[in-house]
Amino acid sequence: MEVSNKLVNDLAPQKFGKKGVIWTTALIIISVAGIIAYIDQVRKGQIVTNMNDYALWGIYISNFVFFVATSFVGAVTVAILRLTKNTWRTPIVRIAEIISVAAIIMAGLTIMIDMGRPDRLLNLFIHGRMQSPIIWDVIIIPTSIAVCLLILYFPLLPDMAILKKYYSETKPKLSKWYGRLSLNWTGSEKQKSIQLKSIQIVALLLIPVGFMLQTVDAWLFSTLFRVGWDSTNMGGYFISGAAVAGIGALVAVVFIVRRAYKLENYITELHFDKLGKFLVLTCLIYLYFNINEYVIPEFTSKKEEVTHLNHLYSGQFAPLFWFVNIGGLIIPIIVLLFKKGRKPLTMFFIALLVVVGSWWKRFLIVTPTLLHPFLPVQGVPESWHHYFPSFHEWTITIATLAMALLIITALVRYLPVIPIQRTADEQSLIESEKKAKP
Amino acid sequence: MKNMLTYRSVFLVLVWSLLYSAGITKVNAQEGEKNSVRLKADYVKIMDSISYINVTAFARIDKETVDIPNIDLIFSNEFDGEEMELGKVTTNMHGEGKFILKNLNVLKPDSSSTYNIYVSFKGNDKFKRASKSLSFKDASIKANLVTKDSVNYISATLKDIATDSVLSDQLLNVQVQRLFRPLRIGEEFNSTDENGTILVPVEEGIPGVNGNLTFEVVLQDSDDYGTVKALVSAPIGTPIKDESTFDQRTMWSPRNKTPLFLLIFPNLLILGIWGIIVYLIINLFKISKSKI
Repeated sequence: MEVSNKLVNDLAPQKFGKKGVIWTTALIIISVAGIIAYIDQVRKGQIVTNMNDYALWGIYISNFVFFVATSFVGAVTVAILRLTKNTWRTPIVRIAEIISVAAIIMAGLTIMIDMGRPDRLLNLFIHGRMQSPIIWDVIIIPTSIAVCLLILYFPLLPDMAILKKYYSETKPKLSKWYGRLSLNWTGSEKQKSIQLKSIQIVALLLIPVGFMLQTVDAWLFSTLFRVGWDSTNMGGYFISGAAVAGIGALVAVVFIVRRAYKLENYITELHFDKLGKFLVLTCLIYLYFNINEYVIPEFTSKKEEVTHLNHLYSGQFAPLFWFVNIGGLIIPIIVLLFKKGRKPLTMFFIALLVVVGSWWKRFLIVTPTLLHPFLPVQGVPESWHHYFPSFHEWTITIATLAMALLIITALVRYLPVIPIQRTADEQSLIESEKKAKP
Repeated sequence: MKNMLTYRSVFLVLVWSLLYSAGITKVNAQEGEKNSVRLKADYVKIMDSISYINVTAFARIDKETVDIPNIDLIFSNEFDGEEMELGKVTTNMHGEGKFILKNLNVLKPDSSSTYNIYVSFKGNDKFKRASKSLSFKDASIKANLVTKDSVNYISATLKDIATDSVLSDQLLNVQVQRLFRPLRIGEEFNSTDENGTILVPVEEGIPGVNGNLTFEVVLQDSDDYGTVKALVSAPIGTPIKDESTFDQRTMWSPRNKTPLFLLIFPNLLILGIWGIIVYLIINLFKISKSKI
């Protein structure tokens, strides 16, 4: 199908303006600060963190869980919307794929940051036991990275060929790169056939891999028999929570990209309305799991579990707990249930609330349980009962978030965020349908 | 420049002299004050097995009891004013040594049928010479298991071998060998009767590997006879059911004992998924080769 110049002009990657340059520079500076802090952590050891004998997992692991959850957006939006043949997905799927790739890469890096001796990473493969959920995680994360890269790459092939042609005169060097990445795409029937078949397979593969990733992540906790984690609900709970975090991140990024690249004609209010409905659906499912996880056990659980829950309801973590549940879940549900609440700007703020809530939610999953061990040690220092990340931990964690945004920014800068060929195909189909009508 | 070198040399000589003299004083002080060695020796006889002498060497240094390792202790047999060297033992790091008497026949008793052993230490740079005498007579315990009215008993008779007479009013301990320390059974004090015998009931349900129990009848630290011990093994215990999962395939086993399900199912999944990933990568090559 022939692609119009206007379409390519609109959807081809654009050079960043002043704001874009400032944004990218800021992300690079934060990332470098994080790398310096990490080098210092490797040199001095994890003594620079505030983790202790009780809080042996801290902000790194909660950040890791957040990244894993966010990467689920690919499985939810790309695979599920594709397999359910929702045509409105076209302008948002690539952004979802980009977020997935960025999040899963950073999840892999973050887990290494938590390791006291990252130089022993290879030992996980050499001496790993298949019985350990850590090994399941070590296996599923590279697998997810591979699948996320493939789901991003296959649909890009025709667009790469278009961009090669588009930049052939104005930017020959860039055009050469697009040409290489297009893998000699000519749009031949054979190429199209292989590509469509491959996309279908990888979309199908993304769902079980995404579910496995989230479930393994949940089992990292639920196999430990600890109060707050020892729950058969955990797998589904993590999957639904990941859908919320992923779609929340998607809405926020889609809003910014739409505004920065002036894509209002392609990403319309209809898309935000649909995404809003999708987000409220996932929030409702997550709310259901939260009720199962937090409300019912209050009446049915043993003393330790109830103590833990009360600690969340009214203890030192209560402000965070209520913010996460009300701000990150109930308010978004109420707002998004109304059509006016699904307008782009409102959705953007709600999405930010959801993402921030999702991040702190992971902190609440990890930390309070660790501070209440089953066998408390007598006479431990008072500080062991509390955990707040150190300067190193904050710097490194913020840097990982900045790196994820940097990956997204780089991909948004050099890849067409809306599939050009597919949009052209759809527009042509609509026009032919219009012509066909009497 | 020359002056500086001279000053430096004088200073170094002074420092060296100070350190050397301090070292010499310390060494001389050590050589001058030898400590006394104390020896403790106990005779132990295990029926139908070996007899031995346990010896411990220690000293009081700076108001603390210190074990003395690596000193040679010479064992001699004294009889009728004569002394016959039996052998030598070197103490271990805890100051302990064990001198095994393979056969009591090599020892000669005195006129009262008492064996006299003399343990001596010749002394060295740090410790003074020391010695210890030990005397004991030869006794025997004959122990066996008897069953009366479906109740098991340990029966034991204590005898003086030299006079071939039974020993009455002697306290014998009856105990079952366990992993860390023996389990006492029967009453607190089991005194031999006029026949030199005790009869101690064995309660049911004592666990043992394959139901085997090893009983010990012990004459403990007797002034005349030392320690004499007789062992009786009998399959009258409750067999220990081995609940250890040590060699089984469990979630807590080492990697070479992974449960088969966990080896097969996840690896099939991994192979399946990575098989598809490889297939998709091959498809990328196919696309690049299918221009037309």
